[in-house]
Amino acid sequence: MTAVKSDDAPRLAPSQPAGPGTHEKRTARRGKLAAGGLLTPALLGLLLGFVLPVLWMIRMAFNEGAGSGVVIETFTLQTILDPLTDSYYWGIIWNTFSMGFTSALLCIIVSYPLALFLTRTVSRWKGILIAIALAPLLSSDVVRTYGWMVILSPDGILNSALLSIGIISTPLQLANSMPGVIIGLVQIFMPYAILAMISGFGRLNTQLEEAASSLGANRMTTFLRITFPLSLPGIFTAFLLIFVLSISTFVTPRLLGGGRVQVLATAIYDQTTELLNWPFAAALAVILLMLFGTVVAFYQALTKKLEGE
Amino acid sequence: MQQPAHAPFRPRMSVSRMFFLLTVLLAYLFLAAPLIIIFLMSFNANQYLSWPPESFTLDWYRALPQQTQFIDGLQTTLITASASTFFVLICGVPAALALNRYEFRGKELLSTFFISPLLVPTIVLAVGLVLVLGPLGLTNTYASIVIGHFAITFPYVIRTTLMSLLTSDTSCEEAAQVLGADRFTVFRRVTLPIIAPGVIAGGVIAFIVSFDEAVISLFVAESGRPTLPVHVLRYVEQSADAAVAALSVILILFSLVIVVIVERLMGLRNVLR
Amino acid sequence: MNTPRTKLSLAGLTKSYGSNLPPAVDNLDMEVEDGHLVALLGPSGCGKTTTLRMVAGLLDPTSGRIMVEGQNITNTPVHKRQMGMVFQSYALFPHMNVQENVAFGLQMRKRPKQEQQERVMKALEMVQLDHLAKRSTKALSGGQQQRIALARALVVEPTVLLLDEPLSNLDAKLRETMRTEIRQIQQRTRATTLFVTHDQDEALDMADRIALMNGGLIEQFGSPHEIYERPRTRFVANFIGRANLFEAAIGSESSTGPDGLARYEISVGDHGSFHAVGEPGMAGSVRNVLVRPHRLRVGSAGTGAEGLRGRIESNSYTGDSVSYHVRVGSELFTAERLTDGDTLLSVGDHATISWRAEDALVLPEELQ
Repeated sequence: MTAVKSDDAPRLAPSQPAGPGTHEKRTARRGKLAAGGLLTPALLGLLLGFVLPVLWMIRMAFNEGAGSGVVIETFTLQTILDPLTDSYYWGIIWNTFSMGFTSALLCIIVSYPLALFLTRTVSRWKGILIAIALAPLLSSDVVRTYGWMVILSPDGILNSALLSIGIISTPLQLANSMPGVIIGLVQIFMPYAILAMISGFGRLNTQLEEAASSLGANRMTTFLRITFPLSLPGIFTAFLLIFVLSISTFVTPRLLGGGRVQVLATAIYDQTTELLNWPFAAALAVILLMLFGTVVAFYQALTKKLEGE
Repeated sequence: MQQPAHAPFRPRMSVSRMFFLLTVLLAYLFLAAPLIIIFLMSFNANQYLSWPPESFTLDWYRALPQQTQFIDGLQTTLITASASTFFVLICGVPAALALNRYEFRGKELLSTFFISPLLVPTIVLAVGLVLVLGPLGLTNTYASIVIGHFAITFPYVIRTTLMSLLTSDTSCEEAAQVLGADRFTVFRRVTLPIIAPGVIAGGVIAFIVSFDEAVISLFVAESGRPTLPVHVLRYVEQSADAAVAALSVILILFSLVIVVIVERLMGLRNVLR
Repeated sequence: MNTPRTKLSLAGLTKSYGSNLPPAVDNLDMEVEDGHLVALLGPSGCGKTTTLRMVAGLLDPTSGRIMVEGQNITNTPVHKRQMGMVFQSYALFPHMNVQENVAFGLQMRKRPKQEQQERVMKALEMVQLDHLAKRSTKALSGGQQQRIALARALVVEPTVLLLDEPLSNLDAKLRETMRTEIRQIQQRTRATTLFVTHDQDEALDMADRIALMNGGLIEQFGSPHEIYERPRTRFVANFIGRANLFEAAIGSESSTGPDGLARYEISVGDHGSFHAVGEPGMAGSVRNVLVRPHRLRVGSAGTGAEGLRGRIESNSYTGDSVSYHVRVGSELFTAERLTDGDTLLSVGDHATISWRAEDALVLPEELQ
């Protein structure tokens, strides 16, 4: 704190300048100091809870694992290269990729009409309708996956209903299989897709569509020539978002896959908890991170390009 | 003003429009399906839900208090989620304040960094957390869960608080200063009350994210006293029977309350973005 | 009557935002008398708000000093300056009601509860809003918010009251009312006031002194009358009121009058000649001459010996008044008169324009 009466110079004595800019600089410095003080706890928290873990994990991928928790401290690329040269792990990487791709695609198809509806509706319930569509996001993915297990299991509600109607004669194998996992993921990530699409549909407006119909275009033509092209940016954003979310998810493949669906996330879990091979688990995590990073980079380049238009 | 005679204000609902609305309805239904099913299951007398449902019962709810592992898990979850929320607010609100109200180099970079925990797969972070916290002897403690959840809830608090700060009128703070309030008083009496909706929304989201989170908790604190989501995960891995349905309904209702709070405060759409 | 006392003085006040940018406020000197309302007037970007914010302490000057009652407060932090400020957006605290808003400054000064309450009510009575004490500020109209902001600033009996474009968010009609009201309250409380505005009418109507600013400098500091009648620069003459301004070679200087102004004879080529007044000692130079449009007479050609001969280029008649554009050589003069029933001159007519010598002013500003 500066003393109020620090300067008792005679009135208006311009011969005594306050020293050019000293106070201004001092204040600026104090501002930086204050900002530093405000940021420090957050930075420490993130250092411990985020930066160190990620760096440590990456470092671990360059060690060698001997199983049962034994870690050989070294610096080798071998641990990362091992799964990349093993057809079993290529299968898992492929599974991860195709799971991400398929669930993103299906999620877009299911969410698109809803997002379109929510963008265009003039209902006074619009806000609430949007909130309802997003609300499931705040319930636990464990709980929602459990709901799907109840629906999809061999003696679950879907099979028993289909059997009693007589559409099928033997229960569908939806639980403990990739299709089941994908159904679950589609529902779990729908709110994200809707959110991304609503934000991406900025350029869509009903006047353009009305203009098209007034020029004689029928509904189908209007949709194909106007609505759909204009909603493409939102669709791309949503697709890539769901893709990256799917490939990094653990709970749903674990529960709905029932051990029979192996993706990178579940393989990482097995390596850590069952085989205690930390370097190998870390190597798989790095591979997942690279897959993730590629897609995120692609996504960001695409958004930049679309925004730059 | 003359209305053209043959131009009805709204065209009759066409077949394609009806088809469209039906699709929308089905999408909503699909979205709600697992939640509805859990709800039905929790009142169903049979251990497995089949169609048509059998007799109605409240037994699953009555049995809940006897499920000691769930009660234990709930206790752990409440403690860790509260602690995470507390710490993330204590650290996140000042950080957002610094980002918004001060000038310094590397601000853009820092904003990106603050949001980046959302860009790293949780399972990757979870592995790293075990590797760092294990040697420190922190695994299987409340602290390990709080540290892990700090990182993944931090972006939400930053986002909501920044949003409130951006829309608030800085001249209110200047007015308070001119009226004789020092920096801390300005924050306590003016800034904080004005950005309260954002801070509360951020805190509520942080709480529910931490409350629901299963993967980090599973990795860093599997043995000892795991959180409720870990218990549910463990149970469901074995059997998808009705025993957890009642519990799930309660969890869903709880998150519904959170949805309403956040929607009222800031709009769910803005917070989750 | 006491002798006038300087309340606030600024000396060499400078704010620059970087060495490669021109300073926002450039070596500004100003003295404000106790109880005066001084308007900082100028176009946007002239540095008037920067000056006000430096006085408030919200901005640190790059150099120079700010003194209040002879105390140097340049390094005093904002919250210890004991000033009052009304913001353009009013900046009422949205989470407090009217009373709590007004009481805030007194709470910061730790006045007893009883005193707080009394002074808040008195301040609210002053702005005639004592009946709204318990209202939320959000429910108030713009004019009401404005008055609450004024009450909040005045209740602490500030050493200097700072008003930052307080009327710019009000509609035209309310602005006029509030103008009078702020002026009355200011005169009643005798609060020394610094008032930022870009509206010359506001400044002329309300201020004891106007500091007309341009490019970080004070172009002229004086009473509204001085600023209007005796502008020193082309910028001032143009900014305040409407003006015919033209360059002329200043001829011989005759006797200096009681007002201290010399009389000059000025001839404009073969268009004629006229008389003008100005500070002594400008004979023989080229200067700007100012004549206000409504002090310019237009007659048909050949009436009177003095004056400039030209041609009517356009006219516009609105019943009460008539205005002419008269071309004299390369200059275009605007004349505006109330109508008197005489016949109007038409476009293309020859005309003579003239004025009383004291209505034409030679500006002291030297031309480059």
